[in-house]
Amino acid sequence: MGKIVYAAAMSHVLYPDYYSQNVGPHGRRMVEALIDVVRDMGRTLAAAAPDALVVVADDHLNVFSFDAVPALCVRVGRSVNRMVQDNAIEFDRALEGLPERYPVHEDLANSILERGLQAGFDFAASWSAPLDHAFLSPVSTLYGARPVPPLVPFWVNCFVAPQPTAQRCFAVGRHIARVVAEGPWKVAVIATGGLSHFPELSLARVGQSDVAFDRRVVKWMEAGNYEPMTALTAKELHESGSHELLNWLVLLGAVSPARARTRFFGEMGRIDLAALEWDVA
Amino acid sequence: MSRYETNVVLYRLKKDSAFRDRFRADPGSALAGADLTDEEREAFMRWDTRKLNDLGGSLHLLISIPGLAGH
Repeated sequence: MGKIVYAAAMSHVLYPDYYSQNVGPHGRRMVEALIDVVRDMGRTLAAAAPDALVVVADDHLNVFSFDAVPALCVRVGRSVNRMVQDNAIEFDRALEGLPERYPVHEDLANSILERGLQAGFDFAASWSAPLDHAFLSPVSTLYGARPVPPLVPFWVNCFVAPQPTAQRCFAVGRHIARVVAEGPWKVAVIATGGLSHFPELSLARVGQSDVAFDRRVVKWMEAGNYEPMTALTAKELHESGSHELLNWLVLLGAVSPARARTRFFGEMGRIDLAALEWDVA
Repeated sequence: MSRYETNVVLYRLKKDSAFRDRFRADPGSALAGADLTDEEREAFMRWDTRKLNDLGGSLHLLISIPGLAGH
């Protein structure tokens, strides 16, 4: 019997220079405090010694173009490269200096894909999509110099309407939990992104967050109260700038009914930063 | 509104450095083959990022094009 041995979710621009430039010293200090917490979480993750690490994150139009935007995509294949961007700006620069290639846990990725299709989840599959900061900024912060276990990257389309629903993302997480439970592996699952920022994906509203919304969803997760989260509408997620909660909803489905423990919550103004863990041991 | 074509151009500006250089040197020539409305073309020509965003241009592309990132 397989088991989810570690589960967490966290913001994914773990790059102090980005917040220095866009928020100032206050932003830099806050993300540095978050990075310290994520590094500590990484010690717990590494001690759990997972055979595979499922990373649920979104694409920022780095990987998939408007020629085809998969609602939900499993990265299969033997290995995955980090994204390379010439003259990268700000948060894309967080990737520079990281390893160019990471192993993929091919058997778990194929199981999630194939059994998903059998169960009615029409996942896309990619053999070539690289990873941007949404995946590698948290993974590299969690693991530091330790070896990273084989990954199962999983993309949720958070930004190109129409997105998958919150309910559907939660159901995907339930599916992943079933695949893990019936397999032989110890698996860690993390979701990345958020909390609220870039409301309505409007350039005019960059710099705003929705603190009341974020406090509410964190309390729901701490209480294991997932019904109101699965009921969140595309309109609510869009208006509050909580698009990336869809990644978190996959994780919630995977760990439900476990409750979250908040390791970090910071109200920055431009974005609210967070890191939560679930007791799945 | 040709949201698709607007985002194709933005994606190329991010990913294709030669196209980006042509656009910066002569936006009219670089966009000659693009199927844009007059309003979209004008927004590209003036590099009016808020207008492009209002017309459906992806925020994440607009804030991440090297040398042209909008704020």
